[in-house]
Amino acid sequence: MKKTNVIYQDGDHKWVAIVRDPERPGHLVDTNEYLVTHGGAGILLDPGGAEVFPAVFSALSSEFDPTALSAVFASHQDPDICSSLALWLEFNPGMRCYVSWLWSSFVPHFGGTAETFACIPDEGMEISLNGLQLQAVPAHYLHSSGNFHLYDRQAKILFSGDVGAALLPADQDGLFVENFDAHIKHAEGFHRRWMGSNEAKRRWCERVAQMDIDMLCPQHGAIYRGADVHRFISWFDDLQVGIVGS
Amino acid sequence: MTNALTVAGKPQAGADLLRIVRINEEIKAVVGVAFKINIMALNAIFLAKRAGTTALGFGVLSNELRVFSQDLRTCMGSLTDLIHRCVNEVSLVLQDIRHTKLLRDAVDLSANPAGQAILQRREAGNAEHRSRLGALRRQLQRSLEDAFRLVELGGVLAKSAKIEAAYGQAFAGPLAQVSGEFDGIVEEIRNSLQALRRSAFFSDQ
Ligand SMILES: [Fe+2]
Ligand SMILES: [Fe+2]
Repeated sequence: MKKTNVIYQDGDHKWVAIVRDPERPGHLVDTNEYLVTHGGAGILLDPGGAEVFPAVFSALSSEFDPTALSAVFASHQDPDICSSLALWLEFNPGMRCYVSWLWSSFVPHFGGTAETFACIPDEGMEISLNGLQLQAVPAHYLHSSGNFHLYDRQAKILFSGDVGAALLPADQDGLFVENFDAHIKHAEGFHRRWMGSNEAKRRWCERVAQMDIDMLCPQHGAIYRGADVHRFISWFDDLQVGIVGS
Repeated sequence: MTNALTVAGKPQAGADLLRIVRINEEIKAVVGVAFKINIMALNAIFLAKRAGTTALGFGVLSNELRVFSQDLRTCMGSLTDLIHRCVNEVSLVLQDIRHTKLLRDAVDLSANPAGQAILQRREAGNAEHRSRLGALRRQLQRSLEDAFRLVELGGVLAKSAKIEAAYGQAFAGPLAQVSGEFDGIVEEIRNSLQALRRSAFFSDQ
């Protein structure tokens, strides 16, 4: 079963990271899911692939009533992001799925009805979770052409999807980045190959550098916190991406 | 979908899908042959006209064979339609298997109190898909029997045409050739349908 870790709590406003599945078959990429709760409502960020649904569902259930999930947020259209959608909907048919307008007719191939999808316009939008304002921040072409991150300005947490992702060796399964220089080696190849646009990267770095962020939470690998957040942003700013091979 | 093919106790749906694909290919072949008979029957009708009074019986049979080929095409059309509906239902059953397995694993792992009711609702949906597939399977089997009876009739017509050809005097040679071809083709269709009746899609349930 996956582990749950409460990474932020202020009353009933919580961020729960669902990470590391020891039983996950090796051919599936490891993913992090994040649950944000506020006032009894919950939103699950990048709910994950269908194959890992049992592990994510059971971990989430240990922290939160899954039938009280009001929404999922899909940073983009990849199968590791949201191919579990139909299964989540079994527990909560009225649940909404926030996703870029670009993918709003593609993601329904994973499940849902016309009513399920809330389209995010290119410039982003505010998403309310029982009074808590969350901000869908544009991150297009990083790597998906219709891509969003989610910022919680109260908790000062940015969920950054595939940005910041690291494919870590099995023995490095810490929740947080402890040694930036050692960690970033596992992120470099991924960012060079998966991220498509230096121009888009530049804009993203400028935008998030202005934001007040205590934790940057990627969908794969460890969480950046404190000074490592800005260390990551400037590392990413310097990296040349969209490159195949060395 | 190897996952769905090998789920314990439920290898049926994956195998069914492959069987239906085979049946569909066989039916496509029969449809092609039925079309050929139609053209052959037309030619035979003209040939009989030219042969005149000596081939009156042959002419009547050629007309019947032409009607037969049209009936056969209609019959194959409804079989094709049934096959497509079967493919659709089998695909749903395959999806159900994977989906339900993941749901069951989730409910078992989490011991979520809402889980059992949701699983039950899911199972009810699955049972409906399975029973719809069962009904289609029986309907397909009945339609195949109808097609088989029709082809038996075609076989009788072709054999009678062979006999009639002998009375064609100067045209006996060409008429015999045409009726021989009819007979060969009807036999081919008969063999195809017989193979279809034996498909494990109908027996191994
Ligand atoms: Fe992705
Ligand atoms: Fe990813």
